[in-house]
Formats: sequence, structure tokens, C-alpha cells
Amino acid sequence: MHTMRPASSLRLGGESNQKGGSVGPRALARLRGLLERSVRGAAGGLVLLGLALWLPASVGLAQQREAAASPNGIALTSAMKGDGGSTFVPPAEVLTKVLEEGKVPTTLDQLRQLEAQQQAVARRAEACTVNVQILGRGPDGVHVGSTQGCGAIITADGFVLTAAHVAERPGLSIRLTLHDGRIVTATTLGMNRAVDAALVKIDEGQNDGEPWPHASLGSSESLTPGMWCIATGHPGGFDPSRGVVTRVGRILVVRDDLLVTDCALIGGDSGGPLFDMWGRLIAIHSRIGNDISDNLHVPVHHYDQSWGKLAAGKAWGYLPGFRPILGVQGTTASDQAEIEAVRAGSPAEKAGIQRGDVIQQFGETVISDFESLKQAVAQTMPGKRIVIRITRGDESKRLVVQIGRDPRS
Amino acid sequence: MPPLDAPLGSDPTRWQVRPRSSHRQTFARRGTAAWLLAVFLVMLLPSPVPAQDLGKPYWLEQAIGTRFTSRRDNGPMMQLLQPLVRDAGEATVQVVCGGKPVSLGMVVSPEGFVLTKRSELTEEPLRVRLADQRLLTARLVATRRTSDLALLAVEGLQQIEPLQFSETSPAVASFLVSVGRGGRPIGLGVMGVLPREVKHVGRLGVVLRDDGQGRARVEGVWPESGADEAGMLAGDRIIAVDDQPTAGREAVIAILRDRYPGERVRLTIAREEESLQIKALIRDFSLLQESENDARVNGARSKRLSGFEQVFQHDTPLEPDQCGGPILDSQGRVVGMNIARAGRVITYAIPASLLDQHLASLLQEAQSRSDE
Repeated sequence: MHTMRPASSLRLGGESNQKGGSVGPRALARLRGLLERSVRGAAGGLVLLGLALWLPASVGLAQQREAAASPNGIALTSAMKGDGGSTFVPPAEVLTKVLEEGKVPTTLDQLRQLEAQQQAVARRAEACTVNVQILGRGPDGVHVGSTQGCGAIITADGFVLTAAHVAERPGLSIRLTLHDGRIVTATTLGMNRAVDAALVKIDEGQNDGEPWPHASLGSSESLTPGMWCIATGHPGGFDPSRGVVTRVGRILVVRDDLLVTDCALIGGDSGGPLFDMWGRLIAIHSRIGNDISDNLHVPVHHYDQSWGKLAAGKAWGYLPGFRPILGVQGTTASDQAEIEAVRAGSPAEKAGIQRGDVIQQFGETVISDFESLKQAVAQTMPGKRIVIRITRGDESKRLVVQIGRDPRS
Repeated sequence: MPPLDAPLGSDPTRWQVRPRSSHRQTFARRGTAAWLLAVFLVMLLPSPVPAQDLGKPYWLEQAIGTRFTSRRDNGPMMQLLQPLVRDAGEATVQVVCGGKPVSLGMVVSPEGFVLTKRSELTEEPLRVRLADQRLLTARLVATRRTSDLALLAVEGLQQIEPLQFSETSPAVASFLVSVGRGGRPIGLGVMGVLPREVKHVGRLGVVLRDDGQGRARVEGVWPESGADEAGMLAGDRIIAVDDQPTAGREAVIAILRDRYPGERVRLTIAREEESLQIKALIRDFSLLQESENDARVNGARSKRLSGFEQVFQHDTPLEPDQCGGPILDSQGRVVGMNIARAGRVITYAIPASLLDQHLASLLQEAQSRSDE
């Protein structure tokens, strides 16, 4: 029995149904809703530190990485093949059962051993947790807003795992704030939006040739509900008077495309690392539901499986329910992006786009035809405000559209 | 016209001179953290599920089975922690104000004094409920605004062993156990951030401008702010705050800046030909800015969730009325007092070392008062 009160009476609408053992369609729909709420901050800053221990890295990951090289010449280095990262901490033997099987300690002494292990992992985790900031700029150079998330450095040469909705799209120049407040520049590479996974690379020459502190890598294979885990990040964005915030919880649900834990996350944490109790990176924070124990993470094997495409800067897929939509129709036969129809109630209509308008520019992207407009929308996160330049007759106009989500996606 | 009672960088267009009947949705709420979250994160999945037998997908079955039983604060875990909190629980009381439980409190001296959280207390009668169910009359004898502490004198409490504070400062990721009345563990969390100062962002919720005659004129009222609830209207002129005459907006702001969220100010107002006295609550600015989506993921929060000279941050989910009680380390030592539920991932607690300092002077104050 739970002796705790639920954190809020608002939480988990489907709870009573589930407890009753029968799950109706409404409960299912509600549970799905709970499972899919994205986490991102839109205010703030971050910190990073480094430690070193040896751990054999995942062989599969190392081999794939070796085979991969990004088009702009980022060669994957030996560091990824097995220097093991700096967060691994071998646990005391008495903890083996508790950690491997995801159990509750049976004695207070065991509880304190678990606590010592948590403390050791938390000390090391901070250093490879970074704050990620995308600085939005409109076509006229005006700052149109900034968003913040987190990332986890995973190699000595500065590859960083994050969430796709934090990285937004390939080829962006972004700002990372390390645990110590240091700011470095980085570039977004590829992203698998279908699971919310993205890869970022810290730009060369920013660490005097020294290796970046980086996370030891785990695998998703042996994960089971009940396993203890540690989350770090910058909830609410980077706060220099606070730094990295540590949370400890347990894995509640293991699926191929996500983990659910009770490590409480909130906007700003997205992209941050989830470690197992050995200090190995097992997942990246992605989204939350209303209930305090609905915290969703992308399992690390998705980065492994797609490493080649991610490192090559490819972007694909969309998170179910999060396909970006503008709400216009046009023809790809034309050599310009002329709007033939605007859907009622769509983001385009709300922004004032009309039939006959020709889209010239979408954010920073020059639009040449309808296909390039489709591409530009596909690369935009739902919720994002974009400055659009159009021509209407002889007139040039500037409109701001807030990209929506396709409810059918 | 700059929004005077708003933080730097806030957008004046959010403010609106308010007819009394205007609805909150007329105000575009574009708090920096709020809008993106709200727009991007709220999920309305269409339900592709037919009404009849759909079976249970594997993952859902698994979710139902493990979602509740695998939580870190599950039954076996709380049972394990039970012996740690037994003693502290005997000295943990529930504070009842005007018939409603508002916080927990800690018995801190053999003379029957209880330390609790100040900002949840109103002027209504105070009582405390003990571990043994007795309900005793209490009165407020001393406060510390900088840490939101209150000392209560309770009649007939003398036989309870007071809590002993520990100087231990747990490391990040250390287990922390929150204690309820009578020795129940009411929450398990870990140290998230070591002790630091958390500055306050209290707001009355008005936009002010000098009216050219040496008075502060209210230009707009933030919806659901203390000013809104107290019935302040655009056009009101503030003559005095807490009986201090105020000559213009700078003077009003200088006084308000010093007020913590959860405190009330008495305003003397000129409205047309009338002069009014109203009492308005200072609210935390983050609550005023909160979108519905933020409110859902954050859950219930304390009235005062910022403005603490020194607090550590942990991740234990607590209800606002579960603050004011002791928080223990994994050895069962009292390392602090929960002082605010500030958000989904944030509970603040005052370190025991600071409690100790305040307690000495609070007890002295109570003593000198009873000598008078």
C-alpha cells in the first residue's frame, strides 16, 4: 500500500479505472495522453564538470560510430570506442540484487549502501550534463525567442545526445552552457523525431585539446521496471545560482521507444541524461504527463541504432501527434509557393495567410516553391512562432505564424 | 508606460486596464517559460480506439502492473523507513488554523513551543493536533520573515520530547524522508541542490504610474493577483501602504519590494471621491504567470514559494499543508524543515543549522514577551 498521498488531486485521471482492473477506451486514451506531453523550457541557462573512470563501452555503438563520419568532416574518434566515460561507478557487491533486479533495499544498511552509490553517481553525472540554448532569429535579424533544454556529453571529442525537440533541426548553431557556467558553441546534427532523439557536436577547438568530460554509456537491454536511476538537468532553464538539479527514482515502464520513471522532470530538463545506478547513460529526458510519475525518456539504443544517420545530419520522422502543420495547400507544379487554399482554423488562417499569397521566406529559409515550403514546415517544431514573408499582389507582407500540430498525425 | 510592478523584460501589452468584468483570457499570457510549454506540450491525441473490446496492449498491461508498484516510495520502501521516523513523528504536530489543517509543526522545546511555517497561518484561531490525537490551543508568539518561520506557544504540550536538530549536511542524491504527525513517513526524495539563497518575487499585481499630483495611480490589475482579489481597480490612487504615506509610485514600489509572497499589505486608496482601506495579498509572481498547463504539471503549491535566506532543494512531492514538518536523513537525523512546495520538481527545506540559529532567538523573544 502507498502511504504517500498523491502529489496532486489533478493527477492521473485514469487512475481509478486502472486500479479497478478494467481499462475502457477512455482510460486508454487518457493514459496515452498522459504518456505524451513534451518537456521543454523556454527560459534560462546551465553547468558542467568532469571525472574519469574506465568502463568498456558498448561494442555495437563503437563499431557503428567508427563507420560513421559526418559530411562536414567530423570524424568519430577512438574516444568513443571504449574509454568508458567518466560516470561509471562499480557498486558494492551487496547491492547486486537490488540494482540488477530493480528491488527495494531490504535493510536500512542496504538502503544506505544504495544511497552512497547514488551520491557517487550524482557527483560524476553533473559534469556531462549541459544546458542547450537555441537562439531564434527572424529573417530581419530580430531575436524571436529562445528555448532551453539539456544535453549529455558522451565522447571526449564532444558528441552530445539531446532530444529532437530541443535540437529542432540539423545544422543549427547552438549554445551549450557547461556545469561550471562556461559557454561553448555547438552544431546540431541529425535527429530521429519519431522517438525524439538528436545528436549535437561541440564545435572544435574550444577545450585546449583536452577531452570533454563525458558519460559512460549503458544499454537499454537489461532494463527492467523497478531499477533505480538518476536524472540530472536544468529544470526551468539554467540558473547560475543553482546549477544542475539531481533527482533519483525508479524505472516504471520499459518500452522499445521510451522509458517511464518517477524521476520528476519539467520544462528545461528535456535532452538531459538518465543514468542507471552504475552511472551509465541509459536514456535522454523527453516529455512528461500531468502525474508526477509520468516522466518519459528516450532509450539510448535509439542513438546507437541510428548513429550513422544522426552523425550525417539526417532528420526524419515525427513524434505521434506532433507533426508540424501550417494548413495550406498549393501545387508542386508551380515554380513558386503560391497558396491555393487555406484550411479553416489552421495556423495559416490565424496568421492571416490568404489564397493567392506567395510565400517568399519562412523563418530563415528562402522559399522557392511549394515543395521547399513543405520541407521548411516539416523542420519546425509545433508551437514555434515563425516570421513569414509573402507577396500579395504587388504588396510585400510580414506575418507571424505559430506552427500547429496535426491532430491526425 | 513601463509595467512597474512587473519583472524586467515583461511585456506591457500583457497588461490591460481592466473593466471589472473582464475575463482572464483577454490577457495574453506569454510568460517566458509558459507559452512554448503550453502550446507545444499539451497533447490531444485523437482516440483511435473503438468502443468495444480492444484488449490490453502489452505495454499498457505492463504500465498498470508496474507503474504503481515500482515507484521509489512504494509500500515496502515506506515500511523500511518507518523505524527511522518514529521518534521524530512523536514530536511532529499538525497545525490547524480556523478549523483547517494548514501545515505541520515541530515540537522544539520542553516548554511546549512549536516551530512551523508562517505564511500558511491566518488570523483565525490556531490549534495543534498531536501524535496522540489531542487537539490543543496554540498562539503565535514570534516570527522570522526571512525564513517564513513562526513559533507557536501550545498549552499542555510540556511532556513531549522536543526534536533535536542535526548539523549534518547531506550530500547531493542523499535520501531524505519527510515525517508526518505521529511518525508516518509522508514522502521520500533526495537532495537535489545544496543549501542556497532563493530570492523572492512577490507581487501585488498592479501597474502603477505617477498621476502628476504626487500619487501612484493604478493603470492595470493583473488577473488573480492579490490586488485583483482585493477589488483594486484601474484609476485607484494609492495614498498609503501599511499606514506609511506614499508619495508616488517609487515610494509604493519601495515598500512593496520588501514584502514576501503570502504576506498581506494594508492599502489606503483614493477612488474617485472616496477613501478606502483594503488588505491585499502579495502573491508569488511565478504563480501569477503560470499557464494552465504549468498549473497541471506543478500541482498544488505553497503560497510562499520563494524568498528564503537559505534552503536546500529536494524532489519529494508534498502537499502545501505537509510543509512545516521535519525532514530526516537516512540515519533518522533531523536535517531540516520542509518550508515550501514550489513546483513539480522542487520542494524547499530550511537546513537544521539555520533552524537552530533562529530557534534560539525566537525562544528568547517568546520568553521576553511572556515576562512583560
